[in-house]
Amino acid sequence: MKIDELAKLIGAQLYSLPGQSCGEVTRVHASDTMSSLIANASADTLLVTSLNNNQLVRVAELMGAPGLCLVGGAEPCPELLSLARTTGAAIVVSPHGLDETRRLIESRLSRVERPGA
Amino acid sequence: MITMSYRIAGGDFEAAGLATRRLKEQLARIGVGAAVMRRVMIASYEAEMNVVIHARTGTLWARVDGGKLDLEVADEGPGIPDIELALQEGWSTASAKAREMGFGAGLGLPNIRRNSDLFEVETRVGKGTRIRSTILLAQSEGAVVSTTAAEAGSVSIATARCRGCLRCIFACPTAALRVHSAGPVLLPELCIGCAECISECAAGVYGISEKGPASAEELAVPTDAVLVVSRGFLSGFPVADAPSRVLAALRALGYAEIRLLEEWSAALLAESRSRARTAGVPLPLIPPVCPAVVALVESRYPSLIPNLGPWLSPAEAAGEEFPLRPVVLAAACPAQYSAVGTASLTDRLTVISPVRLAEAVRARLPAASAPESAPTAPRGEPAQMPGELIGSGVRHVMRILSAAEAGGLPGVTLLDLSLCDGGCAGSPLLSAEPCLSRQRWRQSAESWREEARSDAAAIHRARPYAQRGGVRLDPDMGTAVRALSRIDALTRTLPGRDCGACGAPACALFAEDVVMGRADPAACPHAAPHGPTTEARQ
Repeated sequence: MKIDELAKLIGAQLYSLPGQSCGEVTRVHASDTMSSLIANASADTLLVTSLNNNQLVRVAELMGAPGLCLVGGAEPCPELLSLARTTGAAIVVSPHGLDETRRLIESRLSRVERPGA
Repeated sequence: MITMSYRIAGGDFEAAGLATRRLKEQLARIGVGAAVMRRVMIASYEAEMNVVIHARTGTLWARVDGGKLDLEVADEGPGIPDIELALQEGWSTASAKAREMGFGAGLGLPNIRRNSDLFEVETRVGKGTRIRSTILLAQSEGAVVSTTAAEAGSVSIATARCRGCLRCIFACPTAALRVHSAGPVLLPELCIGCAECISECAAGVYGISEKGPASAEELAVPTDAVLVVSRGFLSGFPVADAPSRVLAALRALGYAEIRLLEEWSAALLAESRSRARTAGVPLPLIPPVCPAVVALVESRYPSLIPNLGPWLSPAEAAGEEFPLRPVVLAAACPAQYSAVGTASLTDRLTVISPVRLAEAVRARLPAASAPESAPTAPRGEPAQMPGELIGSGVRHVMRILSAAEAGGLPGVTLLDLSLCDGGCAGSPLLSAEPCLSRQRWRQSAESWREEARSDAAAIHRARPYAQRGGVRLDPDMGTAVRALSRIDALTRTLPGRDCGACGAPACALFAEDVVMGRADPAACPHAAPHGPTTEARQ
């Protein structure tokens, strides 16, 4: 599912440049530790976290993750947004908490029919 | 083979991850696949963050060579007091700032280990930490870059100088040499780097490979470089007051600091003495003072591998002492070259031939002067503890190891062994006569300074010892048994003179060469007119 569609479905705000295309995700991983995030990141994973710093984007970039979802309605810090614009990572801010956001995303992704499934 | 390196600034969370990102860009250019890339990124990022969080500065190196990718991250930092604890998930000493950013969960080192096929951490409290990770490439990725056996060798061979005297093939303790009509051939899987061939060859065919300048005139010394030499190098010059004058000449060449290999040998022996008193340690303990002895045990005496002390050799430890400074090692033998070459992939460590270094020193030797503080009496050799057996020279060491293997050394708790006569000072690359060299050293003022200043320490080795496969005829036991049968049959058809005329040091080894496809059956001039029988060769 495309990240912008997913953001709408869970009531999250999408931070992206006009015309920026959003990547697709099929998995979600939520954590507040960087080691856990990088160990579980992949090219089809949306990373969910209550952290808020530029290293999140660096991890997403290294692992090819298409986007990040911050939680609790947090305003993304300027360094994070700036780096995200450079790397093309989509930033989503969920109004829900960490576990609730993960549960909502898992629920939406599980309803998506996958080719060959 | 390609090697990349990137600097890492400690405490800079803004730039953190940039070294790993640049590495990713380079790896993508050479076609490293997604699965391997993922593991590399995790290992590299975690190691890089380790520097950012804990150290003042550091460097990330990466090397793609054949079927594997090696990562190495070294830092100048506080070191890790307890590695076992640091490898446990959840243990961390990260700052509050790092924890706020999501680091310091105690998962970094476990993450690196989980994504590595080989993983090592070496650390010294107050000095720094070095993390090594090897990640095997998928088979389809293995063709990215390749290396040849010749590139990995540590013995150089000047084929044109060979006069065919055959002395080398009989001198080699592991029968790793052959002399054919085209010149000497080294079987690298059998070579232990002991320098016997260098010592025996009057024509100067053999030498030590070096990663460095092509001539003494081009002996460029990096800024802030540390030179590590054996004291045999300082006292190997046949001039009065040699060590002090040689030291002055080395400083004139531009080395910022000159350290003696024996500092790390002494530290290693001290640790070994302590370990030999520990219950449950296999005795006699063999400290890895001489890397050629280690290679000999790994190839010829594998039952003694558990007796090898769990530390780096002095040359490797010296290389670890200065994580970020250029280190130049004047290797006393090919085995030191090999040990250092396989221990580190950093381009900051250069190995040079002591012969070439000696040429440069001779041109700068200052005039003789009176010794500054000559001792009134020669200093004795380091005290030998009860239960210690000191042995040197290939033949003696092999007999001692054979006795140890057979349980024939009752009461011996520690074997201090060197393949060169009297230790590194006996290397043919350092001095013509080791006894004179040792005497010069004992009478020099430098011998007293060495003990006073050294802060060298033994460093625990992370990579386990392993039996070398060189003596095995084939990895598959059934195939090896069949090959052995053919070798036996062929050996019975040969005259048994062990004359060396075929280029091998013994008839049985010639038979092995024929069966393994390394020699022409017609090379034996004493066999039947048409060479060994066809039946025996098949």
